[in-house]
Amino acid sequence: MTAATLASPADRVEERALLRASASAFVGKESPASRSRALRGKAPGFDLRFWAALAQQGWTGLLAPESAGGYGQGLTEMAEVVSALSAQAAPEPVTPVIVFAGRLLAGCGDCAMALQLLEQTASGQLLPAVAWQEDAAGATSFDHQGHPAEPATVCARSASALQLSGRKLHVRPGAGASGYIVTASSSEGLALVWLPAEAVRSGSELQRQADGSFAARLELDNVVLPASHLLASGERARAAFAAACDEALVMAGVELLACARRMLDMSLDYLRTRKQFGKPIGSYQALQHRAVDLLVQRELSSALLEHALAELDRGITGDERAQLAARVKARCSEAALTVGREAVQMHGAIGVTDEHDLGLYLQRALVLSAWLGNAAQQRRRYAALTRHPRDGGSAGAEGTAR
Amino acid sequence: MSASSIVRDWNTMDTEAFRAEVRAFFQQHYPEHLRYPKRRLRWDEIRPWTLKLAAHGWLAPSWPARHGGMGLAPDKLIAFIEEQERHGVARAPDMGITMVGPLLIQHGTDAQRAHYLPRILACQDIWCQGYSEPNSGSDLASLRTEAVADGDDFIVTGQKIWTTLAQDATHIFLLVRTDKAAKKQEGISFLLADMKSPGITVRPIRNIAGAEDFCEVFLDNVRVPRANIVGELNKGWTIAKALLGFERIFLGSPKQSQYALSRVEEAAAALGLLDDPVFSDRYTQLALDVADLGTLYARFVEQVKRGEALGPEVSMLKIFATETYSRLANLLVEIAGASGGTPGDVPTDGGTIDVLTTFYNARPATIYGGSNEVQRNILAGAVLQLPS
Repeated sequence: MTAATLASPADRVEERALLRASASAFVGKESPASRSRALRGKAPGFDLRFWAALAQQGWTGLLAPESAGGYGQGLTEMAEVVSALSAQAAPEPVTPVIVFAGRLLAGCGDCAMALQLLEQTASGQLLPAVAWQEDAAGATSFDHQGHPAEPATVCARSASALQLSGRKLHVRPGAGASGYIVTASSSEGLALVWLPAEAVRSGSELQRQADGSFAARLELDNVVLPASHLLASGERARAAFAAACDEALVMAGVELLACARRMLDMSLDYLRTRKQFGKPIGSYQALQHRAVDLLVQRELSSALLEHALAELDRGITGDERAQLAARVKARCSEAALTVGREAVQMHGAIGVTDEHDLGLYLQRALVLSAWLGNAAQQRRRYAALTRHPRDGGSAGAEGTAR
Repeated sequence: MSASSIVRDWNTMDTEAFRAEVRAFFQQHYPEHLRYPKRRLRWDEIRPWTLKLAAHGWLAPSWPARHGGMGLAPDKLIAFIEEQERHGVARAPDMGITMVGPLLIQHGTDAQRAHYLPRILACQDIWCQGYSEPNSGSDLASLRTEAVADGDDFIVTGQKIWTTLAQDATHIFLLVRTDKAAKKQEGISFLLADMKSPGITVRPIRNIAGAEDFCEVFLDNVRVPRANIVGELNKGWTIAKALLGFERIFLGSPKQSQYALSRVEEAAAALGLLDDPVFSDRYTQLALDVADLGTLYARFVEQVKRGEALGPEVSMLKIFATETYSRLANLLVEIAGASGGTPGDVPTDGGTIDVLTTFYNARPATIYGGSNEVQRNILAGAVLQLPS
């Protein structure tokens, strides 16, 4: 693979198609729904051997720069792999580890420990998780301007050590993480601190999620760490976190869309084959029109994601990137949950059984929608981000409609 | 066309330069008081502007240059229309430009082209569309207006309805039944008629906004020359369907919704609701619908620009665009509260607002151009492959 920046657009489209085909083929063969089903609810909730297989494919290093042993590809390429995995409801935490934590490490600059952690992540040996949210609803995660809020967790610094106190919620992966990148307030602004899993063993509590995966709640009661564990602070930490968070939001959108696609496809198959009153139920207009509304939501999500991935890879920053990420997460969360609810209704009673695979996707959509801010929260964040800069001149007139 | 209009190859021009030239012309020549009109303008109101466009050689942007058009390729045509929308240029009676011209260029005889095209370009003939009938709306192919051969003429009898601005038109193009025995789509022909023909009566229909945008057209033994058939006899349905080219994309333009969103925001400001969290949540949800509609629209526009034909998928744009518009209209009425039943300008402590224009405009949007229910039927069958 060549670096994304060197490839021409046409080459890139072709490479993407190849990546899509190989990811779909691999995941289709190696990760049937039965595998995902069997892993539910048993910590860590995913398979470390499968993770090693992903690493072998080069996918844990897809995003990381070549200087860290990665392939330097864009989010657009990463999305192909993530999408293939989500289409099979594979439980491996690729977005939290490779995108959220991985991009955060990559944004830490020339910090020796961050680079080392990134190399190990890219090679598949290390599974870092980001620990940033602090309340049950995630209501305090973004501030009134729509930016990631200043953490209540504190990092006190002495000459040779760091001391963390506070609590972190909704940390994914909750089980199986090698350690946590903790956001904390410090005398130099935001601090990103590497907290190895063994340093917080007693203060970590697992919460089973709807899809059988786990999130962690960390109680940090004056945890002492070597000073070298400070990955970044101040403006660099703020910028790195804002970027990684937005990128993770967009990649969560990719997963949500993949779930929505599967649930809609399953429903359409069912509508075509299930007969009642002597006819396929998909021949009834009431159901046809509802299915079309789901198609519209799917395509709104898909067009938006395509646009957002391209824009992020182009390097947009600041509020422009934040608005786009909020839009993506809001739209894809809403679309996936709407498709999921409607899919259950269209399937009838079989749709509410644990035995049917539909549930794997609906449960995953519930978890992904809630993660990093659900649709309503991201809409509020979007409103906060757009409230202040207001550019005038809205175009168009009703009388010119065609 | 005036002698000053020289034939230029717009398509070799850089799109931004082209946009700039179009924009400059609109800014210089389009009447300020007609920008962003709240209602459909009548011919006498928009005529001076239309003549100016015609004199500049810009009346028929999509027609080939050899027929007096600008010969714009899809990307340039989209740019032209986007600039019109951006400047708030009203839609003139344009059926001659968008329908009759392309139809004659593709299917007409040399004599028909030589007669009608220059008259359209000179604004001598104003066309209206005679498709819908009282009992043939969504099921258009069931139409019953009949044309019976009589020597060199047809005798046409029947009724058309929802004919936009028929009272301003000089000519009408009709779908008529010429073979009652054939399967319903196969007995239909395309016929051109002069509105001054004896036996044609126009009755404007007043709509709920109080405007007379559309009419009933009665045809009582109207004599129309046989030479006015376009294309083959009994092949009118095929021709009419083929006319639905990539222009269908404009039915899904986000511009109406973007405009309505601004109206909601202005009204909310006037009513002191901008900091109301309930309003803010609903407004943001719709703002995101409008934004995401814009992104979906852009994807279809890119497809057209690449020269690819639009598939049946494009119906989803029309559905989401018009229903978003309708939801914005609903929000406007809701936040107006006790003033939600007052048409026209409503004075408030924070300034004048208009509540119901958007509501009235949103009503036909989900009906015309193929009702949203018919669009959903199309998507269910052709895209989702659901059984009939």
